[in-house]
Amino acid sequence: MADINVQALDRELKRGSAELLILSLLDARPRHGYELGKLIHARSGGQLTFHIDSLYPLLYRLEERAWINGTWVEKPGERRRRFYKVTPEGRRVLAQQRKTWDAFVEAVRRVTEAEHA
Amino acid sequence: MPEWAAEVRARLASLRLAPTREAEIVEELSQHLDDRYHELIAGGASPDEAQRAALGAFRSSAALAQHLTPLRQAQVPPPITPGATSGHALGDLWQDARHAMRMFVRQRGFAAAVILTLALGIGANTAIFSVVYAALLQPLPYETPDQLYSVEVVIPDRREMSSLPVRVQDYLEWSRAETVFSAVAALTPGEWNLTGDGEPQRVGAARVSTNFFAALGVPPAHGRTFLPEEEQPGRDRVAIISDALWRSRFAANPAVLRSTIFLNGDSFVVVGIAPPTLLVPTGPALHTALPFAPRIDVWIPIAPTPRDLEGENWNHGLIVRLKAGESLERGRLQLQSMLNASLRAAMPDMKTEFQTRMVPLREIYSGKIRVRLLLVFGAAALLLLAACTNVANLYLGRFTSRGQEFAIRASLGASRSRIVSQMVIESTLLAGIGGIAGIAAAYLGVGVLLARGPGDLRALADVRPQLPVLTVSLLVSIGCGVVCGLLPALQAYRKDARSVLQESERGHAGAGAAAMRQLLVGVEVALSTVLLASAALLLLSFVRVAQADRGYAIKRVLAFELTPAGPRYSTPPARAAFYQELMTEVRAVPGVSAAGAVANLPALGESNTQVVFLPGDAGTPDITLKRPVAGIRNATPGYFAASGSTLRAGRFFSEQDTTPVVVIGESLARRLWPNAATSAVVGRQIRLASVDAADSTVVGVVQDVKPGAVDRDLPPQLYRPHHQASSGRMFVVVRTSQDPATLAASLREVVKRRDPTVPIAAMRTMKEIVSTALAQRRFQMVLTGLFGVVALLLGAVGVYGVVSYSVTRRTRDIGVRLALGATSRDVVSWVFSHGMRPVIAGLVIGLLGAASLAQALRNLLYGVGPLDPLALGGVALTLLVTAAIACYLPARRAAKLDPLLALRVD
Repeated sequence: MADINVQALDRELKRGSAELLILSLLDARPRHGYELGKLIHARSGGQLTFHIDSLYPLLYRLEERAWINGTWVEKPGERRRRFYKVTPEGRRVLAQQRKTWDAFVEAVRRVTEAEHA
Repeated sequence: MPEWAAEVRARLASLRLAPTREAEIVEELSQHLDDRYHELIAGGASPDEAQRAALGAFRSSAALAQHLTPLRQAQVPPPITPGATSGHALGDLWQDARHAMRMFVRQRGFAAAVILTLALGIGANTAIFSVVYAALLQPLPYETPDQLYSVEVVIPDRREMSSLPVRVQDYLEWSRAETVFSAVAALTPGEWNLTGDGEPQRVGAARVSTNFFAALGVPPAHGRTFLPEEEQPGRDRVAIISDALWRSRFAANPAVLRSTIFLNGDSFVVVGIAPPTLLVPTGPALHTALPFAPRIDVWIPIAPTPRDLEGENWNHGLIVRLKAGESLERGRLQLQSMLNASLRAAMPDMKTEFQTRMVPLREIYSGKIRVRLLLVFGAAALLLLAACTNVANLYLGRFTSRGQEFAIRASLGASRSRIVSQMVIESTLLAGIGGIAGIAAAYLGVGVLLARGPGDLRALADVRPQLPVLTVSLLVSIGCGVVCGLLPALQAYRKDARSVLQESERGHAGAGAAAMRQLLVGVEVALSTVLLASAALLLLSFVRVAQADRGYAIKRVLAFELTPAGPRYSTPPARAAFYQELMTEVRAVPGVSAAGAVANLPALGESNTQVVFLPGDAGTPDITLKRPVAGIRNATPGYFAASGSTLRAGRFFSEQDTTPVVVIGESLARRLWPNAATSAVVGRQIRLASVDAADSTVVGVVQDVKPGAVDRDLPPQLYRPHHQASSGRMFVVVRTSQDPATLAASLREVVKRRDPTVPIAAMRTMKEIVSTALAQRRFQMVLTGLFGVVALLLGAVGVYGVVSYSVTRRTRDIGVRLALGATSRDVVSWVFSHGMRPVIAGLVIGLLGAASLAQALRNLLYGVGPLDPLALGGVALTLLVTAAIACYLPARRAAKLDPLLALRVD
């Protein structure tokens, strides 16, 4: 079993997994803010909804950390949109967070199994 | 479609986002709302419902700002008010410095003018100061140099020779006696032919007491110093050589130690090599009666023989080291009483009391150049003052024209001290750059300065950058920057912002500043007047000195020195024959019109001296002190024709003179027979050196001679025929009918043919000899002149700047005058009277200053009074013409103004 970094775990729980969520969604392909909001809402079966005033500050924070990168993309006949994609640094962080997350889930599973036993 | 942007912007208002970033966020979020709105419309909502629902995506009106606040992009620094205090003094300084640098880049011309002006002033001062420091301030390269003194003997009431060196007996007695001196060292000049490997070479040398190097506290770099027992005759065959000789003749080979060299044919063992930095007295530095060579390459111990100890030879220099804490005066009296006791023992009936004089060793090296050096330093300081004045003037104009900028900044919240400090920082920064440029230029210049400077400066020539000099120069630069900036800044920024803005609208900005600029121009003119007047007096002196009648010809004369030494020339007849035959051969060289030889070249000043007695004189000391001391020169009969001597009475001597004869100078004739006419002197008798000597007949009287520099009087002269009193070392003087330099090779050939072992030293034209003698005078004249010309140019630029500025400022006034019927001549004369006012005031003050300075210069002048009308008038005229040209250019511009255009200027 992987060691659990207790501090990292604590931080993750406090901050929530919003960052992980966004990085995972952008890992597949670049998306704009509205699409991200809709995807999270849809994939969580309506359980998770980002308000516009927390979604965008979160994107900007990730951008300041250079985990994602936003660029204005213009297509003929459309307004320009800001698309975000994961940077190599973001990808590294994502892998790390997934590992921490998996370890957490595994730990929870063992605890609950022990209780069932 | 709803207006989302306003909604988003309202939520961002509390943040301080950069405007471009805010626009991006507004665009992105508006799009999000718009997408949501269109989705809801497509889903069947009404526009009102859709708008409300879309805006429902905001949790609250404050949440967006709240979430954005921690981000970097929301933390844009507060806007800068130009000139407002940031609260951090160092931050302000840095900001001001950066602002200043940007200003310089934009106004390159102005910055270059300031930097160049200050670089000039500071460069000149650094160069001169580094020489002054080396010569006057830097400790001499000895151990505790302040305790070293040279000792001279002063004979009261003696006109020809105010002081004497000491006798070798005095050295021996004083060094053994218990005194307040920890060391007593002696030295006496010599010049020998160095033979052995390679060409024979004439070397400057000195016999020194064996404690000489220890007394100075400078041990040899290699080998050993002399041992006390090497002062005994017979054991003195040891030598210490200079670093320069070691490198030039022996290729820095350490094997020269313990090897043998030959001096005048005698063998000496080299025991030591002096350090390259060793400083010893050269030339007449220690005493005018001790003619050391310009460079000393060999030292050998003094080794007085019993005969030396009986003679009265006042030919030893003495250097003593005072014990720490002892009284110099007490030491002087100790030496003086020993001297008088020993003299009275030999001459019991002597009434005169001799005195001793202690001269700090520093004065030996710099005493003679001190006044001249300080004069040049003073000139450099005046130049710097003129440069600062000019720069202050430049700033005043610039700060005044920036009055509006400062006013606007003040109204935006900048404090007065902040604006003034910024101006000062600007000027200090430029001064610093100028200073560094000046210092760099100075060190390039010091080399040139020394190379062209007089020889006694070169003795101290180790003038590499010195920390004290660099520090002083940098401090002076910064001080200049502060002073140049502060005064104009305070002047330019005196009033409150509103009045500046209003004034400049009316076109009367800076009336006070204009008055100050006039004052500065006056100061500049006064400074250049002082500099130019000093330079003019020195220039006239130089011209008079160069043209002075020295009693011998300078044009088309070549001189060189020969010293036939060794057993072949040990007898007087052998030496006389050598010169007689050589002269015949030299005269046969095509292009030679006359040739002769003299023991000591009058142009070089030095000569042996002896007392001249009259027949019947008693041998008492009082008679000895009463009779004149004459400079004795042995000469071949051909010398008078070759040197161009002027006969006043009688005849020159010839080879046919067999009884003792002499030719004397006019002043000696007057000293010996004050009441006799010059022609009546011929045929009278004298006795040389002693009352018992044989009578010599005066056969002729010649014009007196002066040394090359004409800076002092030589003792009265007496010439003896070489065949009657031959000396070995002679200067051959050759008069030519063509350029003397072209004969150098054939003359060398003649000497070589006669005897290849006789070295030829210092073959130079008389012009070169005189020119070298005038080096010091030329040096100070050229530098002072150069500084004067630069100050003049600075003054002219100042006048031009002020007049030009005031013409611009008064454009409307001039327009009104022209419109009311003034002619362009009226305008020109108005501008002139306006511009020349400070010039004339400065000129008058400067002339007064120059007149009082010239009194101090009196000793440096020759044939020119301190108030010479030609010099001062010439300076006044030069300044007036230059200033008039500087005024004329703006005046012409003013006269050509179109009244209509002029009136429209705001």
